Amino acid sequence: MLFCWSGIRSFPKLWKINPYLSLGPGHPSLFLLVDCGIRNQQRWFSLKTMSPQNTKATNLPIAKARYLRKGYGGSKKQVPSDSPHLFAAGAAKKRSQMNNPQSKDHALPPVRNTIQLPTKPLNSEEWDKLKEDFIGKANFEDLVSSRMAQCHSSVDVAKSLLAWVAAKNNGIVGYNLLVKYLHLCVVHKQTSEVIDVYEIMKARYKSLESGGYTLLIRGLIHSDRWKEALLLLEDIKKVMIPSKKNYGDCIEGALLHQDVTTAWNLYQELLGHDLIPMMETLKAFFDFGKDIKDDHYSNKLLDILLYLRSNRLYPGESFAHSIKTWFESIPGKQWKGQFTTIQESGRCSSCGKTIESIHLSPEEYEFLKGKIMRDVIDGGDQYKKTTPGELKRFENFVKSCPPFDIVIDGLNVAKMFPKARESQVLLDVVSQLAKQNLQLLVLGRKHMLTQRSRWRKDEMEKVQKQASCFFADDISEDDPFLLYATLNSGNHCKFITKDLMRDHKACLPDAKTQRLFFKWQQGHQLAIMSRSPGLTFERILRHDTVVQTTGDSWHVPYDEDRVERYSYEVPTKWLCLHRKT
Amino acid sequence: MSVSVTCLRTFGRILVPFTLHRRRRNVYSTILQRYMASKIPTVSYPNKENTPPPEQLELDRWKTTMKSSMQEEGVSTVSNNKDEDAVAATRELIEMWRLLGKEVPEHITEEELKTIMECSSKSSKKKYLKFLYVKEKLKKAKQRKKEMKAVAKEEAKKAKLLETTEEDEQRNFLFLRLWDRNMNIAMGWKGAQAMQFGQPLVFDMAYDNYMNSKEMQNTVSQLLESEGWNRRNVDPFHIHFCNLKVDSAYHRELVKRYGEKWDKLLLTATEKSHVDLFPKDSIIYLTADSPNVMTTFKHDKIYVIGSFVDKNMQPGTSLAKAKRLNLATECLPLDKYLQWEIGTKNLTLDQMMRILLCLKNTGNWEEALKFVPRRKHTGYLEISQHSQELVNRLKKTKSFNSFPKVNAHRKCGLNEKI
Repeated sequence: MLFCWSGIRSFPKLWKINPYLSLGPGHPSLFLLVDCGIRNQQRWFSLKTMSPQNTKATNLPIAKARYLRKGYGGSKKQVPSDSPHLFAAGAAKKRSQMNNPQSKDHALPPVRNTIQLPTKPLNSEEWDKLKEDFIGKANFEDLVSSRMAQCHSSVDVAKSLLAWVAAKNNGIVGYNLLVKYLHLCVVHKQTSEVIDVYEIMKARYKSLESGGYTLLIRGLIHSDRWKEALLLLEDIKKVMIPSKKNYGDCIEGALLHQDVTTAWNLYQELLGHDLIPMMETLKAFFDFGKDIKDDHYSNKLLDILLYLRSNRLYPGESFAHSIKTWFESIPGKQWKGQFTTIQESGRCSSCGKTIESIHLSPEEYEFLKGKIMRDVIDGGDQYKKTTPGELKRFENFVKSCPPFDIVIDGLNVAKMFPKARESQVLLDVVSQLAKQNLQLLVLGRKHMLTQRSRWRKDEMEKVQKQASCFFADDISEDDPFLLYATLNSGNHCKFITKDLMRDHKACLPDAKTQRLFFKWQQGHQLAIMSRSPGLTFERILRHDTVVQTTGDSWHVPYDEDRVERYSYEVPTKWLCLHRKT
Repeated sequence: MSVSVTCLRTFGRILVPFTLHRRRRNVYSTILQRYMASKIPTVSYPNKENTPPPEQLELDRWKTTMKSSMQEEGVSTVSNNKDEDAVAATRELIEMWRLLGKEVPEHITEEELKTIMECSSKSSKKKYLKFLYVKEKLKKAKQRKKEMKAVAKEEAKKAKLLETTEEDEQRNFLFLRLWDRNMNIAMGWKGAQAMQFGQPLVFDMAYDNYMNSKEMQNTVSQLLESEGWNRRNVDPFHIHFCNLKVDSAYHRELVKRYGEKWDKLLLTATEKSHVDLFPKDSIIYLTADSPNVMTTFKHDKIYVIGSFVDKNMQPGTSLAKAKRLNLATECLPLDKYLQWEIGTKNLTLDQMMRILLCLKNTGNWEEALKFVPRRKHTGYLEISQHSQELVNRLKKTKSFNSFPKVNAHRKCGLNEKI
């Protein structure tokens, strides 16, 4: 074991010593060696469950090889052709790939103890034989049935298993097997089988558990007995709040059977439980709406869009299509929908209308400022992030200074380019900005002022000449001060840091305030992309990415299916709807 | 042994088909009878779209038994009370989960059921049920072990009786077998000495508001353990429980665990704060968040440990407490001596106690840091060999301490590993 690890650890070294490995022909032995090592490694671990280290270790050579190919292929610099803004969907992924090209998750398939699942129904003798051949601690029937459920075996095979079990057991099949069978029936949409199992469950058990109910609901909504799914929902409610999936299924069932009132009632109930409905559910309302020409119903759909707006939710691609089709199906209004993007100026590329500004309203602004002060800086215990003395010093400092144009996170900026000296980088940035006659504030910690190899005193003095500075204690946090100083200076003030401030966002008490903070952050955060020649910043957004309307137009941002969006990013694609006049 | 097993197996192989056939035939006949007799409306089986294979009929037959067995189930009494209804429903839910093979306990008391119903979310319910399940499993295993031990003892006794019936010889002893009692008395003497002349060690009990009941229980367990380690040491500390309010959660739990022994413990429990008892400049608050690293154990200082189990991620709580009272802080030099791998640098109270005791007696860091859990680090750093590296490292940690951004710190650790 130990040997193995040491072997793996020295891999990078091997590659580093032989950088021309991929070019030079005379190293077959080395390849062989590496190969053996890996295989060995895998053997070691196939006994256990896969550990993350293992995947890392085995991926390393592959990744390195890719890296080498790239490195010696010539073009080392990756300059994105159209740079997305800091919070654009997928931007974080791109950034991480740019920073370390070798990291790419290769999920190895997990090792399972394999059972050959039968492909056609077996009779009892065959099952008996299969069971005898099976070696393992687990219960044979359990294991086979769960593997079947995983692999979506055909219903008949599962049925033959149940028949065999029942024959052994006086005609009794355990609940767990029944549920797994039900799962298969639901997956294969075998409604008649679902109803059979439903009858059996009703007969044998007084009540079921959530998993069984969920499957039954999902299976029953397609049948004529869909109303019984609602009764099952009632049964769940006795013990716990049904999941959004349960509600979603019931709503879909109601819509399938043209019972609009029930569907809306269920939707209201779902919102009443503070659950966030699934996008599929909302999409179902829109899909169903195509065939209904009813003002009441359309108003409800517009309410859904407003719900998306107030919760800053974004529909998926197919949902966006549904919205588009519904709008276009409204008779007499002549809506026209188009998929588009928003220009940097904040105008819609399709209709040319200006999208809502990213700036907060004055009330929202004041609210956020208060919250930052109270929850992020103070947080119930002033000693956690700072001290009362320091807080007072900071407040006096902010009051005494004129409003700033740009607030700089000194440490974040200085540490951005690891090869350059910290104070040098900071001075560069500050002096470049100072040339544009901007009122600057540099926030930092006191240790920056002590002379050291990476913090030169003369350079720090120059910084202090060109900008106002505030140095917090070494054990205090500087980010909260940065946020407050920026907010206090007013709407025009921006701040420079690459930090995404997620920890400070998390300090805010509720989702609404967090959304407000995120909106403000999108409009005011500058992130440095490169230092020379001249500072370049990540693009800053002018428009707010949220569902919005002007009465005769709607703009709906949506998530593309193929782009992975992180929670602190916003979509870049839009659906533009406007009326032809 | 193995021979017999294979033998049986072959036997079984021959036997099984026969028995099965016969039994099945029996079953089917009874089923048929039942099926005729039962009054349930028969559900029509719609034909499958694919042509039914000959064994299709056989495949569906189990359903009839399953359905018909309903007749035998007792009809539940419907209770009108809504509360009772919910309790019963929860109980049934748990039972069904158990049938499904989920991790839920087999038996559950009324209070536990009430706790489950008070859980706000489904996941918290599941979590609590799993806790009960594990607890039940441990209890059962223990019970089984106990029974086995009792049986073994009984047998040993019998064997002994058979062997040594007549030769019950008289032997000469110097001592009666009263070791445990003597040990306790000796520890009591040492404890009394420590109360008079021992170095104070403070447990700060001002964290009741930061912990939930489970964390509080864990904390008290760790306190008990620490006190035990201290008692057994050659040169115990004089333990102080400071800020211990009577009738606080700490106090209640401690009294519950110690029982009547609580009043006879050789330690100082006080409602006063440590800053009132000792001069401020001799107090050192130990916290993993401290920027200062402890280099040596000082025998004239009063070390304070926060009795705080933090599972909810509230970093900097104890540092904030020390900052408020303007106390010196220190943290253990874990990074200096150990190649840290995983886990937080917060150690449990009993580990802290053992490390401090060891330092006090020997002053040797390697020896003392043996008590850091082995899973958290890969080994000791060899100081003499890598002295140059150590200097660099110290420099680095120093600069990073003043810039505690987690990313940077982690990166540095990675570099060193390669």
